[in-house]
Amino acid sequence: MTELPENVLEVEDLHMIYSGGVHAVRGISFNVNEGESVAIIGSSGSGKSTVLRCINRLIEPTEGRVSLKGDQVNTPHTDVNNLRSRIGMVFQSFELFAHLKVLDNVTLGLRHVRKMSKRDAKERALSVLERVDMLDRVDAYPGNLSGGQKQRVAIARALAMHPEVLLFDEPTSALDPELIGSVLETIKGLAEEGMTMLIVTHEISFARDVADRVIYMDEGVVAEEGPSSIIENPKTERLKKFLSSLHEDDVPEQAN
Amino acid sequence: MLEHDTRTTESNAPAVSRAVTVALLMVLLCLVSPSHAGGFESSWAVVESGTSEDLLTAAEYDNQIWVFGTGGTMLNSSDNGVTWQSAESPTEYDIHHSDSGFGSLLVAGDSGLVLLKQSSESDWLDISLAEVSQINDVALMGSGNIVAVGDGGAIFRYEGGIWESVPLSIQNDLNSISFYDEDFGVLVGSNGTILFSVDGGETWDYREPPEGAGEANIVAVEYYSPVRIYAITDDGSILFSRSDIVAGTDVGYVWTLIDFERHYPPGSTDYLLNPSDLDVELTSLEVLTTTKLMMTGAGGYLSISTNGGTIVSQQINPLGNDTDFNQIHMLTPFVGIAVGDDGAILWTERAGEDDQVGFAVPEYSNFGVFVDETKERFKDGFIATIKIVSFGIVLGFFLGVTLAMCKTSPLSLKNLVERFEPMQVRVAGAPILVAGLYMFKSAIPGTRGLGLEGIEYIFLPIGAPVSFARILLGIAFTFLGLLFLSNDGKFSKIKISSLNFNPWRVRPLNTIANVYTDFFRNTPLIVQFLFIHFGLDLGGAIKTPGLEYFSFEKLSQDHNFITDIFAIYDDNGTLIGGLLFNTTFISAFCALGFNSGAYQCETIRGAIQAIPSAQMEAGRSIGLTYLQTMRRVIMPQAIRICIPPMGNEMVNLVLNSSLAMIIGYAEITRQGKLIVAQTFQYAYAWGMVLISYFVVTWTLALFLRWMEERTRIPGLGITGGD
Repeated sequence: MTELPENVLEVEDLHMIYSGGVHAVRGISFNVNEGESVAIIGSSGSGKSTVLRCINRLIEPTEGRVSLKGDQVNTPHTDVNNLRSRIGMVFQSFELFAHLKVLDNVTLGLRHVRKMSKRDAKERALSVLERVDMLDRVDAYPGNLSGGQKQRVAIARALAMHPEVLLFDEPTSALDPELIGSVLETIKGLAEEGMTMLIVTHEISFARDVADRVIYMDEGVVAEEGPSSIIENPKTERLKKFLSSLHEDDVPEQAN
Repeated sequence: MLEHDTRTTESNAPAVSRAVTVALLMVLLCLVSPSHAGGFESSWAVVESGTSEDLLTAAEYDNQIWVFGTGGTMLNSSDNGVTWQSAESPTEYDIHHSDSGFGSLLVAGDSGLVLLKQSSESDWLDISLAEVSQINDVALMGSGNIVAVGDGGAIFRYEGGIWESVPLSIQNDLNSISFYDEDFGVLVGSNGTILFSVDGGETWDYREPPEGAGEANIVAVEYYSPVRIYAITDDGSILFSRSDIVAGTDVGYVWTLIDFERHYPPGSTDYLLNPSDLDVELTSLEVLTTTKLMMTGAGGYLSISTNGGTIVSQQINPLGNDTDFNQIHMLTPFVGIAVGDDGAILWTERAGEDDQVGFAVPEYSNFGVFVDETKERFKDGFIATIKIVSFGIVLGFFLGVTLAMCKTSPLSLKNLVERFEPMQVRVAGAPILVAGLYMFKSAIPGTRGLGLEGIEYIFLPIGAPVSFARILLGIAFTFLGLLFLSNDGKFSKIKISSLNFNPWRVRPLNTIANVYTDFFRNTPLIVQFLFIHFGLDLGGAIKTPGLEYFSFEKLSQDHNFITDIFAIYDDNGTLIGGLLFNTTFISAFCALGFNSGAYQCETIRGAIQAIPSAQMEAGRSIGLTYLQTMRRVIMPQAIRICIPPMGNEMVNLVLNSSLAMIIGYAEITRQGKLIVAQTFQYAYAWGMVLISYFVVTWTLALFLRWMEERTRIPGLGITGGD
């Protein structure tokens, strides 16, 4: 895996206080380098998803700085739509557009954000759908797809925009165990191709296999950060405790 | 309407074509103008004459109608003119004139031809006037007594089997003669000649023609009653004489030219005022009652007047304008024939039916008759209803979508100003605050001037709308100004004891939309109709500038089907159709649309809120703007969800359209009321109105059900279907 030193994503001292007063993220900083895949793990409520949503400003961070290749994201002066189109996002519950067929789900952004012609958009959509192995269902409505297929279409939708970084918000946690495999395979494939990715996940074994780096978050701060080997050899007590609690829950073994 | 939003990239082309179809349907609807509806139906029917000779004259004799024409043609009919058979003719000369009465039938024509039939069994008696080249008219004035007239002042009397010339001092051509009885007769001719006889035609007195008719060629005269004589000229004027009890003059002494009001164009109810003549070459005159006249003329002219000639309505002629008509002969005021060139015979049993005042009242209690008599009204009303309903639905839907978007818009004051430096905002705040305070100050004189007290101030918006608007703007500007001045870049909320309020989260679009919907949902529709039409005169306010834009001067050069939607003119520049034709229509559909929009807004807003917020996030995450996401992602799904409740709104709109009658819009309820006023058949009329509404709403419901089926997509909502 080639690893370039360039920072794609930079998060500095990020704070998020929800309007209800919940201080979900309390000063987080990290970088994601070009071609690197970073996994954020942590228990529920530790602020993982909030960090992800702050990165493409689906929620407005209270304080701190998020920048994509040097362009600050969280400022009123930026063209947030353009920035978002450079940041792909895959949601926990897929969020495909129910009224559009698979192909149209993927071309929507190309047509109306990238302003591509119908033909070019279709061409690119077919190529990314081929990559996630969904070519045979391009004319199906999302309602007729299985969960795993939906998530792969959602990945294709994000990929089609040729994002500079791809954010995954617990991509497998809404899936049945037997459907997880295909989605994880797809993400793994992307990682091997050098896609820059930030993955919030519960799949510890998956994080270990795919991620170059792992960030463990607890109570809104980074509790431990390091190469994926920290999952095997956690240094802090908190991570140790978290990992052992997962084993008690009998999380399925690494998916192939 | 929905296609607009529900289609996607793949199907843009069919969406456009469908939108065009809907638009075209609406255009067609506009072009169906009630004033045309049913106008072009002739009350005359063409009957087969069996000849192609020109038919010149007709007379009634012994329960038969006889028609005579060129080449000695003689036809008769025993069934009131429906079927015709040829009669044996003793002559081959053209027969121009006929008369019947006193048990005899008399015809006259070329080369002094005069034939007399004294009973239906007897043959024609040839009593031709060999010395006369042309006889212009003949009249019977007793059994076997005849007067014939010709050119150059020629008058001949036939009595006791011999012709005698009546000496006359004038040389004018004599065209027509009519006897009321054996003694009283009238005779007309060229140069305004009018002669009168009181002794069976032995002597003739000269009578003064009316002013303006001194040169006129008077072509036909009818001595209708002891007090009434009508005559016509070949340039289309009607002359009239009657006895005047006050002045003590008998009929025939004083003549007047009738001033016309013409129905124009044919079949319409518009009048052309005060023309000097009928602009047609008249050929014959038939007086049916004291005020009902019928006339024929060249160029397919058949006309009727039911008020003594003042208003002359040209009749629709099924043969077109190439046939010259020579005479009308009526058996009754309604049944009769008209004869013309090339063997043309028209037959009618309902001449002048439109003007039935004083004649026959249809039997409305017979349902068949009732439907027949009122269907035009119902049709007009039905079309009018469909028109405001369809325009109302489109306007309401458009408003509803817009308002719902405003209500769900996240745009807050904070969003508006956060891109500016706090200092810049504070600087902008000062003039805004000043402007707000000025608004208050300037509102004071207008408000004070009303002299209102206490609670009466709730009527301020009507009493001084400008002042009221200034007060509202003043409040808004003062609020904004103070807020901007206090801006420190943190956009924090204000805490006043337990009150927790963040002014920066005020959403202006939402506020405006709320004011709109609150107003329209909290006032009765019928009052909205009255206020919008009579109070605001919205129809007039749109029509006047609209007609300036679509003026006759512009359109007469360059009109097309698009401008026809807005305004259609006739050749004289009178507006006869289009959307701008009718102010009540404009007001009615605007009121209906405004009101429905307020209700549809809430329905659509509910549907938008039913879409998971993550759909918006998903759309935004690929870089679509807020509006793009609304348009491409949220609305298509929301519209599908809200089709059933929207069906309710639209049915309500159809039913509410009946309230448009209050401002005089001729939709179907109003037509029902007018029909009841005319026929007194309450059950029939209101029953038919009910059924008409049912047809509209039921069709609409079926359409929406079909739409729901068609737009259903798997996985969106619980539909009960698959």
